[in-house]
Order: sequence, then C-alpha cells, then structure tokens
Amino acid sequence: MQPILKVNLTDNSIEEFNIPQRWQEDFLGGASLAARILYDSLTHELDPLSAQAPLLFLNGPLSGTNGPTTGRSVVCGKSPATRLWAESHMGGFWGAELRKTGYDGIWLTGKAPKPVFIWINEGKVEVRDAASLWGQDVYQTQESARQQIQIKGARIACIGQAGERGVLFSSICSDHGRMAGRTGLGAVMGAKNLKAIAVYGKNKIHAADETRYAALRSEANRLLKQDNESRVMHELGTAGAANYAEYMGAMPSKYYHQGAFPNVDNISGAKMSESILVGQSACQGCVIACGRVVNLGDGAKRKGPEYETVVAFGPNLLIDNLEEVTRLGELCDTYGMDTISAGNTIGLAFHLYEMKKITQRDTGGLELTWGSFTAAQSLIHLTARREGIGALISQGARALGAAFNAEEEAVQVNGLETAYHDPRGVSGMALSYATSPRGACHNQSDYFFVDWGHTQEKLGIEYFDRHAQAEKAANVAKHQNWRTVFNSFVMCIFANVDPQMQADLINAACGYHWTIEEMMKCGERGWNMKRLINGRMGLTRANDKLPKTFLQPYAEGGAAGFVPNIQEMLSAYYEARGWDKESGMPSEEKKKELGLDGL
Amino acid sequence: MTAIFPSEAWLTELESKLNSDKKYSEVAKEWEGDLLFKIEADGNLKEPLTFYLDLWHGTCRKAEYNPNAADYQPVFTLNAKYSDITAVLTGKLNPMTAMMTMKLKVSGNMSYMMRNVPTVLDFVRVAQEATKEIL
Repeated sequence: MQPILKVNLTDNSIEEFNIPQRWQEDFLGGASLAARILYDSLTHELDPLSAQAPLLFLNGPLSGTNGPTTGRSVVCGKSPATRLWAESHMGGFWGAELRKTGYDGIWLTGKAPKPVFIWINEGKVEVRDAASLWGQDVYQTQESARQQIQIKGARIACIGQAGERGVLFSSICSDHGRMAGRTGLGAVMGAKNLKAIAVYGKNKIHAADETRYAALRSEANRLLKQDNESRVMHELGTAGAANYAEYMGAMPSKYYHQGAFPNVDNISGAKMSESILVGQSACQGCVIACGRVVNLGDGAKRKGPEYETVVAFGPNLLIDNLEEVTRLGELCDTYGMDTISAGNTIGLAFHLYEMKKITQRDTGGLELTWGSFTAAQSLIHLTARREGIGALISQGARALGAAFNAEEEAVQVNGLETAYHDPRGVSGMALSYATSPRGACHNQSDYFFVDWGHTQEKLGIEYFDRHAQAEKAANVAKHQNWRTVFNSFVMCIFANVDPQMQADLINAACGYHWTIEEMMKCGERGWNMKRLINGRMGLTRANDKLPKTFLQPYAEGGAAGFVPNIQEMLSAYYEARGWDKESGMPSEEKKKELGLDGL
Repeated sequence: MTAIFPSEAWLTELESKLNSDKKYSEVAKEWEGDLLFKIEADGNLKEPLTFYLDLWHGTCRKAEYNPNAADYQPVFTLNAKYSDITAVLTGKLNPMTAMMTMKLKVSGNMSYMMRNVPTVLDFVRVAQEATKEIL
C-alpha cells in the first residue's frame, strides 16, 4: 500500500508514514491494519476528544481498483461514545480518490486553533481556513469546499453541525449520504476543528498481476450481478429484507418492546421500489447499487433510506409512513448524525416518556407519542443543536437512560446503540452484539444473514437453527473472522463473493500466495488485535453482555417466547476463540499462534 | 399420500396437496404467480427436467410435467441442480440457504418474492410432505 499522510493539526506539520510490509502482510489493510498502526496510541487514559487523540482514515489494498465493492475506506480511532476501539466504514468515492493522490491513509493528530479543512490535490497538501464552512450541513459543506478548490472531481469527507457540536454519534459524510456513521468519529473530527478533507488525484492504481487481477475482477463482478442477494439489494435496497426480518421477529418495533409490526408492507424495500423509488445509486466500482434515490413528490431526488434507517425511524417509533421515515433519515444525514444511534436514542426517549420517567417538562412541551413524526423531527433538531432534551440525547442512549435513572432501559452495549437485528429473532446476533469490538454493532458480524440461511461452505460456516444457542458460538467466531477480512479489504459485506475468489483477488493485487486458511487467519488476527486494544482501554469480560431488554421475551411475533442464553453462548465462544475465560482476553498461546505475542 | 421425486405422480401429488392443505391455503391466500422449475441433470437425473405450477390464492390451478418451457412466461423461473433441489425436498438444505448461496437461482419479481417469504417457505413444506423418496 501507499504511504499514509500524517498531519498534526496543532502546528500543521506533515510527514509520511510508510506502513511496514510485515504489518501489511499480517493485517492486510483497512480496520485491522489501522488497529496495528494505532495500537500504541490508544490507551485507557486517552480522551478521544483531546488533541492527543489520533484519527486514521485508511484504505485497503483493493480500494479504487474496481474490484467487487472495494471503493470503500475506513475511519478508526477511539470512540467518544464507547471509549473503546472505533472503526466506521464509508462507501462512496472518497477512498478511491484518496488513493489516486498517492496516499492510502490520513493520520490526524493535534487540534487546529480554528476551523480548517485539508485539501490534498495530487499529492500536494494544504490546510485551509474553514471559517466559512463551519456551521454548514454535510451537503452544503461539500458544495462550498468544492467551490473553493475549483476542482469538480474532488471528493470530500466532512462533518455537519452535529460533529462540530460534539454529538457523540456524529458521522463523517462523503458524496450523497455515504456515512462513516458509527462510534461518533464525526465528533472526534469536530474536536480537532477539522471540517472536511478534500482529495483529488490522477495516479493510476496498479495490481501486482494486472492481467490476472482484471480477469478476476471482471468475473467477480459478473457473478455478483447474477447473485440472488445482490439482485434483491439492487431492486429493493437493503430494506428489501424488512418483510423477512419481521416474519422472524428479528425486526424490533416500539423500541425493542414489540415483536411484530403488522404494517411492515408500508415501509419495506418492496414498497419503496413500488412507490417513491426513482433510481439506484452505487459506490465506486460497485455493481450492486443498493443505494436508493427517491422522489417525495416535490421533484427533488433524495437519498432513500436503507434497512437500518427504515427501522430506526419506522417500526422503532411505530411510524409506518415511508415518506416520513425518509425525511427523518435525511434530516439526520444532513446534520451528520448516525441514523442507527439517533433512532435508537430517540426511541429510548419515547420509551421513557411512556414509562413517565421523562415528562413534558423535560421535553420542553413535546409529546413523545408513539408514531409521532413531528416529535421525532423536533428531537432530531434539538439533538443536533444540543438544545433542551436534545443535549442529553446527543450523548447517546446509555447517558440518556442514566440521566433519568433508567440506564438499564437503554438498548446498547458498551455505549454503542444496537442496530435493528433482534437477537430474540436471530440468536447469533446475541454474540455479535456482546463481543463486537466497537459495541453493539451488526457489521463486525452480520450473523443475522447466517441465521436467515446464508452459509459459507468453504469456510465451514454452517446453518444452525435461528434459535440455536451455544452450539453456534464457534460458527459466530468464524463469521466474525471472515467479516474482519472484509473490513480489511475494505470490501462491502453486501458482496456475496466466494472466499476463494477473495483470496485470488488479494494474491493478484498484492503478489501474495494466500490460501483461504491464511486469509481467514488474517481475519482472526485482526479480531484479536482489536480485542487487545480494547483490553488496553479497560475492556474486560464484564463488558461482554446484552442489554436487559434482549433478555425479556416478546409476547408476539416470530420470536415470541425466546431469549438468548448469553452466558452459555459466551462460555462456548471464549472456548472457540481460545480466550481466557476469566479475563475474556486472548490467551498467551493464542497470541503466539497469531504472531501477537508481546502485545 | 406421497410419491417418488421426480415423476408425474409426484407432481400430481404436489398439486393435490397444494389444493387441500389448510395451512398453505391460508398462508398463500394472497399469492398470484406461476413457477417454472428447471432442474439440471446431476447424479441420478440423466436428462434435464422441467415442471410448471400455476399458484393462485392458496391453490394450484395447473401443474405440468416436462412442458415446453417456451409456452410459458412465468412470474418466477427457478433453476437448480438435481442434487440441490432434492436436498431441499428432503430437508437437508434450508430453502433460504439454497437461494442465498445461489444453489437455487431465482429469476423474476424479487420484490414480490421478498414480500411473500412465508408463502415460499410453506410451499416448500408442502413439497417436502409430498415427497416419499428421491430417485
């Protein structure tokens, strides 16, 4: 991979960091490689919003090569929401464009004395004044920055007002709503007074074996176009799964307290495609194009919501109107806030209001009635501005719950709000949420796909009943390792690419000779590396848990009566991982096996 | 009654079950769509096999064994190897796994398919119950 550009925003000093070849071979790229690079900087004492906190944007070895769904990049650091490892993946075109500048990463430290943006134009780096951009939303910022730099093809990653104001689930946005949304790294960027990073380059991206890589890329993309799942994603978007998830009782409603949502047809991807959809959008080099373009009747082309946003502002709040869901998602995006965490925390506010723990005196007169679009809209505005009850919501569900003496009502793990795949419907998600290195995340292992039936024979990832428990723990660990490979590529997890094809792509791109087993070992190494970092930052076995709500059964729907036995699942999981059952950390033997001894 | 798959008797049995199974009748009451199955020769199946089912509001209006595929323009065409379709019929392969791993290739209206997953799964249940043994 190409060098990483290091920028200290305190004094604008710039240097290049050449990634050691051994690290590249051990960790491949993306999030795992970022974990190795940042290992020494991430400590328990580090304040993630301080000048000392690092923030690393990083590509993978296939970024920008037009390989299957490889136009992505990742942002890593310490999360201000969880105070643990943070990684957040961003689609769009920014990572590929960065690569064309001659850099594969940007490693930020320090804090600018006033708002700035970084402009990297074909390898030339400038730190520019961003006073005129400060206060703008993510779309205005991109437009204004592009006007300043006068290069139409430049790609811009930026924060909105939420990141400026320290909302702990602020996102970093590029292009039209492609978000590094989770773990609040937009707030880290804002704390550094960094509004945006614009990149433009013309470098050609080479593979070690150009001819073979081109053939593999072409074949992988051809197969993706025919794939059943890809076609569902293309035709219906990710919300195409809403009906199936609801059928299984895996799509939470009413802030995870209602196991069925009879009006699912009103908010599903199928409904979207039959009503407001006017087009699809794709990230760089992607043939799936899961992005939605919708028209709400005013002629404007808007970003349509994906599954998480649909559920966050639909069933989660008992809203069954797709236009309203679209507008709420768009509002979050515009301010630069993660829709998963925003929807979850607003859902908690509704829930606490119903419990009478929050009253109209707390909300400034707002009635938080289930199904109320206007209440949700008002809370989004208040949150982004950190005004009124929005100031509490801006600190996330755990903090909101604690403020009303009801922390246990918050559906989160380690400070990261859960996504919308309920482990009572798909039990593997219990382990995914409890052990993810970044809190209750569904992308470190989207195991719900396996519980739906998506196996991977070549990796030994088998099908277990969706309500099986400890017996699927080793399967979850394998799946996590595989997804860690995806997050190192950096490849979209929606790409149903054969593992042998993945290994072949890496070998052709990097000149390696990996087998599938070696590729999976790289994934396991990355997963363990992040665990070790979290250990440095204070994580123990006690952090591996589920929120109380997931341990209470639904009365209705496809998951009625079931709760995961998380303690049994965890014990089997530690066994499968080779982790110490007391500390929950990789054993010395495991570290040695993975070449992580000494860390 | 059950029958050996693949055979005309099996298809007749499946048609009969689809028209008499109360649960299927309820789950599939909204379904409107015909299916053309194209089974690739594999293992004990020496020649490709096709069969057609016209499913309508919880009933089967027509079933045809080895029809001329060109005569139909079905809502869904499903392609699978014989070994994979028999694995589904004997319960060894989850039908959703078959779809998600491309062992069962689906052509048609994916929107309609995703809205009606319970119908699809219940159709498979009935087909499994109609299957006595595999050739």
